[in-house]
Amino acid sequence: MRRHVAALVWRAALAAALVCGIGLLPWLSRTDPALTVLKARSADRDPTPGVLADIRDQLGLDKGPLSLLGEWLGGLWRGDAGRSWLSGDEVAPAVLQALGASLLLMAVALAVAALTAALICARTLWLGAHRRLDGRRSGGGGSAVLAALPEFLTASVLATVVGVQLGWLPALGWYGPRWTVLPALALGLPAGAVIGRLLDDLLPGAFAEPWALAAAARGLPGRGIARQAVRRCLPGLLPNLGLFVVGLTGGAVAVEQIFDIPGLGRTTLQAALAQDLPVLQAGTLALVLLAALAAGLAALATRRLVGPALRDGALQSLHRPAPSVRSTLPFVYGGLLLLVVALGLPRDPLALDTGERLRPPSGSHPFGTDALGRDVLARVAHGALDTLLLALAIGAAALLTGVLLGLAPRLSGPLVDTVSAVPPVLLALLVTAVAGSGPATPALAVGAVAWAPLAAHTSALLRQERAALHVTATRGLGADRWYLLRHELLPAALPPVTRHALLRLPGIALALASLAFLGLGAQPPSPEWGLLLAENQPYAERAPWAVLAPAAVLALLGAIAVSAAGGVRLPRRVRRRAPEPPLEETSPAEELVGAR
Amino acid sequence: MRRRHILGSLLLAPLMTACFASSGGGDSSGDGKAGSRLRVALAFPPAENLSPYGADATILSRLGVTEGLTALDANGSAAPALAQSWRQVDDRTWLFTLREATFQDGSQVTPAAVAAALGHAAEAKPAPAALSGVTLTAKADGGSGVRVTTGAPDPVLPLRLSSPSLAVLSSKAYDGKDGADPVGTATGPFELTKVTGSTAATLDRYDDYWGGRAQASGVDVRFIADGTARAGALRTDEVDVAEAVPVAQAATLDKATRKETATTRTTSLLLNSASGPFKDAQLRAAARRSVDTSALAEGVYEGYADPGAGIYGPAVTWAEGKRRQPTGRAGAATPDGTRITLATYDNRPELPEVAQVLKQQLEKAGFRVTLQVREYSRLESDALEGKFDAFVLARNTLVDTGDPLAVLASDYTCDGGYNIAQLCDKNVDRAVAEAEGVAGTAERQDAAMTAEAAILGTDAVVPLVHQRIITGVADSVSGVLLDPYERTLLGTGTRR
Repeated sequence: MRRHVAALVWRAALAAALVCGIGLLPWLSRTDPALTVLKARSADRDPTPGVLADIRDQLGLDKGPLSLLGEWLGGLWRGDAGRSWLSGDEVAPAVLQALGASLLLMAVALAVAALTAALICARTLWLGAHRRLDGRRSGGGGSAVLAALPEFLTASVLATVVGVQLGWLPALGWYGPRWTVLPALALGLPAGAVIGRLLDDLLPGAFAEPWALAAAARGLPGRGIARQAVRRCLPGLLPNLGLFVVGLTGGAVAVEQIFDIPGLGRTTLQAALAQDLPVLQAGTLALVLLAALAAGLAALATRRLVGPALRDGALQSLHRPAPSVRSTLPFVYGGLLLLVVALGLPRDPLALDTGERLRPPSGSHPFGTDALGRDVLARVAHGALDTLLLALAIGAAALLTGVLLGLAPRLSGPLVDTVSAVPPVLLALLVTAVAGSGPATPALAVGAVAWAPLAAHTSALLRQERAALHVTATRGLGADRWYLLRHELLPAALPPVTRHALLRLPGIALALASLAFLGLGAQPPSPEWGLLLAENQPYAERAPWAVLAPAAVLALLGAIAVSAAGGVRLPRRVRRRAPEPPLEETSPAEELVGAR
Repeated sequence: MRRRHILGSLLLAPLMTACFASSGGGDSSGDGKAGSRLRVALAFPPAENLSPYGADATILSRLGVTEGLTALDANGSAAPALAQSWRQVDDRTWLFTLREATFQDGSQVTPAAVAAALGHAAEAKPAPAALSGVTLTAKADGGSGVRVTTGAPDPVLPLRLSSPSLAVLSSKAYDGKDGADPVGTATGPFELTKVTGSTAATLDRYDDYWGGRAQASGVDVRFIADGTARAGALRTDEVDVAEAVPVAQAATLDKATRKETATTRTTSLLLNSASGPFKDAQLRAAARRSVDTSALAEGVYEGYADPGAGIYGPAVTWAEGKRRQPTGRAGAATPDGTRITLATYDNRPELPEVAQVLKQQLEKAGFRVTLQVREYSRLESDALEGKFDAFVLARNTLVDTGDPLAVLASDYTCDGGYNIAQLCDKNVDRAVAEAEGVAGTAERQDAAMTAEAAILGTDAVVPLVHQRIITGVADSVSGVLLDPYERTLLGTGTRR
């Protein structure tokens, strides 16, 4: 009970700190809210001192941030979230309506994600249920490519091709179930790919557990075994699923813009840019509450699924039974990427020639040209080094932080939820306000949130691992906590978390580029990959090559990361556990007889 | 178990529908009235609940909802609207004679109602842009006259009153506590009946409009901020008119649906003449000479722009005939690797591209250029403080009042409130001040062109292109009012 109270207090403290941080944002970043509000209301208006003074009066800015914050909190107590600084409307109904649209979109997107994940795991499930998994390499190139696809690109393609050119589904607005399909696909496909990859990573371990063997020997249908295997793996993923719920609700800005959906992502983005603090505070608070709710539900579901086993320390370790077969795939992918870079490096990425704009791929421009007539191949190649190095550095830092904080779940759990509930632009503004707009700020802003899913993943895995028999046994032999951590827990959790971190590398590269409009990070004409995607997006229909090239190399990066992950697994110590039955040699029936 | 499912779906159904946006009421199309409804996609969602005192006023005026005492004609001079004529009584007083008209709530447009409406606008905080720095009082004068008095002599008052933010609304509009409510209280051919947040609005025809009944029975407006999405809506026949189609999307529309209009928006390169390398007039001249404007108009704007001729472009019809050669230009120096920062914003998608082309042109001439591209509100205060050496700005040259001198005074004089070029030049200040005192329209235009020549002579501003706006209009629609001043779009003759 006391633990619950402490967690609740910690959660509330984080939410309060966040709301206060937003309330102080303009004063911390020294950006006059009167000016940003004026510009959001009417971009052409000259900011004369008189006009700014009138707006300051209207909003009561002279009272200072603390009393404004106090008033807002006081009103919140009575269910009044204040009035928008921009429009003067009541905030609560507007935010609730946007939240409704976003929740609906998220729900449909989750359904799409579940379907995607199921398709990705289908092969493993089928093989596992029929006990033919051993020694086979898990696939994953396809899902990694899917996971690396930027949402806005999928959304543009779906809207243009399915919505406009084919006219199969409406691509604009939010008027009924038919309107949810395309945006949900754009959001759900990459999310489902990530979830599917993580699940696919855990499934072989579940199929290798004795119960699966026993069930197969008993002649239970493969479908039932597969279902139980999924159930066995879900607890390790539920916290991440919770993060997706929150991320899809508040962070679907690009998709909301392309499909013109009045959701929470757009509302908070506009409020963040205009420094419309009441809307921003209310929107963020709603997202934080949603995050807490999602985390609570995930915890509840975990307990329902494996509660008794967790309590009694009766779980098996979900290790992969045998190291994956090394394959040549990463070298193929890597070689392809190297080839592209090598071909492009001698070319000039900055030389523009507007007479040569939007040319399709040809001998002189193998990847075509962009809207200013620059060679796309050259830009992709020259952007590779910057993009990769920075993304790798942030990814590594996020992995380290994630694992470390994942070790202390009571501390990090609420922190993870809160951080991932904050809209990315707002987080960047907060980081800028604290750290200034130096060269390291974009990396900090992206890193500040990149660790969260890894920490959630680590703590979920550790929690299961702590309940595993081999840990109990080791403890019984007199091992202390350090020993357990170093030799039993971390070796079990690190490989899947590392693979997870690699899977998120392309996402980090994209997140970096999405901050450029705040003046953070790479500025044009730099050929950084995220920037390439963003600047060519308006021409996606007329010159698809200009977006496809950077998207393809990003997807290639994802594929390399996932397929090479087999090589990064840490060398495990000699097995301390009872050796698992050598499945290749013994048939399930024999094994069962032996057990009897 | 089954019953629970039914119950669940019964509970869920209204919850689900609540999560969708309500469509702007397009179901009233088959109501038997003559003429069908128009479907319009506008680019800028209302920011202030369609308050007539801010930028949303333009939306109301474009949709034919509100009108002022005067309007702008094609030559940029004041034309009759609710006032059928006016005359200047003395240098601070004008007398406007109203025409017979009714508000959409049925009440008469009386001098008292007009005076009250103007009074409310004058008291609004912050003041409407057209009234900034102006004190104005309006009084009823007889049965059909309105006497408008200004604090200081104002030779352009009829132009000023054409501003959409000085629209005349009935007394009912001001009943609420805050601001003015244009729903059902204006005088135009279309009556605003419903506003759905910042996503949609519904307009019905106002049958008693003084200028005759509109041909369309109503308008369903959708606000779609994303340019690609707007073009897509037109292509899938979800709307009949889509305003401001981005250049990048223009090629995806049929040639017949693209309507180009020259606008008063000029994109210029502003050079910081107060600090940094461009303090040196010879370097400014070198920068001007290195810029090739036709490459921008053709290469970036795909021909939907005219190469920069001056501060005022071809949409300001009188400007070309009165243009003078810039005076007192310095000779160009060699830049010799001078480092400069060039800043611009990405709210208008073409500007970052313009900046990148400029970077190459300037570097060819010997400058070394660093780019800064940000969202506009994150850039403006730095620009006004002169933190950049050069700035690419798209500016409406006939801001708010339609008076050509307003933009010169605010952008290029020592006391100007929007002086990004940081220009403070005695000759310019004198020329602008002289022009501001001139009363007659033609003389004022002449004086404005003299001032323009003086400003261009300093090389603090290099006009790059004059933008054309692309409006997507479906083949079945006729009578769309394509307006260089971006104040009208729908009128009585617009129909499908």
